[in-house]
Amino acid sequence: MRLFAPLLIAFTLASIAPASSAEPAPAPAPSVAPSVIVSDPYVRLMPPASTRTAAFLVLENPGPKEKKLIRATTDAAKVVELHTHVHEDGVMKMRPVPFIGVPAGGKTTLKPGGLHIMLIDLTRPLVEGHLIELTLTFDDGSVLAVSAPVRPINPH
Amino acid sequence: MNEPTAGATSTRRSSRWLMTLAATLAGALVWLALRPAQHELDDVTDARVGTLVDLRLTGQRGIFSLASLRGRLTLVYFGYTSCPDICPTSLAATAAGLSRLTPDELSRVEMVFVSLDPERDREPRLSEYASYFHPKIRGLTGTPAEVAEAASRFGVVYRKVTPPGASDYVVDHSALTYVVGPDGRLLAELPHGAPPDQVVEVVRRHLPR
Repeated sequence: MRLFAPLLIAFTLASIAPASSAEPAPAPAPSVAPSVIVSDPYVRLMPPASTRTAAFLVLENPGPKEKKLIRATTDAAKVVELHTHVHEDGVMKMRPVPFIGVPAGGKTTLKPGGLHIMLIDLTRPLVEGHLIELTLTFDDGSVLAVSAPVRPINPH
Repeated sequence: MNEPTAGATSTRRSSRWLMTLAATLAGALVWLALRPAQHELDDVTDARVGTLVDLRLTGQRGIFSLASLRGRLTLVYFGYTSCPDICPTSLAATAAGLSRLTPDELSRVEMVFVSLDPERDREPRLSEYASYFHPKIRGLTGTPAEVAEAASRFGVVYRKVTPPGASDYVVDHSALTYVVGPDGRLLAELPHGAPPDQVVEVVRRHLPR
């Protein structure tokens, strides 16, 4: 697959270049490190026959140090795991990950086909629009409560 | 934060970056221009395309074979109901495509969801799961041997794995949607999560007149 190499390099560079060329003035350091900001959280509505689902959201880290999401819990599922997907030779492999990193000043998007919070053995049926309360724990000890609405899959 | 490299050094460094970037992009463009004509996404170069495919599995109404659907276009997807992301994404996108067909077109299309996880996916749960996405989608499975046989006919690769840190096993699996013609031949393969428009386009292209 050497033909893909130039493209791959181009994409890699494209993602690095802005960080190295544009150097905005660093914001004044706050006395307390700002915590991770969560946006657009949702839990995927699944068929009633399903006992599992996934939660997706965007994690933004305005702080100067990488943050790691190390744990998620909810009363809506007996087991919660942090997962990612690996796409190898046309085969989709879902794998647990020990943490989900959010780079300093950057963001990490949990989205279908990639990183997600997997909810296993749901304790109650999913209802569109209902809120699932998630508790996210980060490696610096900070804890965030997130209300994620149940949303149907909306392909476009 | 240590910022010793101000002024000239940083400018020179970023211009070197930009030149590398430009050169790489130029290379990529040349590659894009020179590579063989772009295949359409569904034209996966699989030697099986054009060959006769079939499967014999069990559905809610008993034994089911693709041969019983001759004369209609059939979409086939292999997955499992405990899959929270890949399978629902594909099934929802394909279902949305089916919903855009006219009633007449839809009457000539079938779809089956083959569970690669017969241990956990039993009736009526399997059929409830499949038809949730679209009433046209029927759930099928069989004994592990029957499922393996069906998968091999389509070149589907799957494996039960319990990765470290997982509370239960997962099933690694190919995530293509297969398009089987009215004569039982494999006509095309749609990639994972093919958008509804692409589903409609491929169905219309292959739909029997």
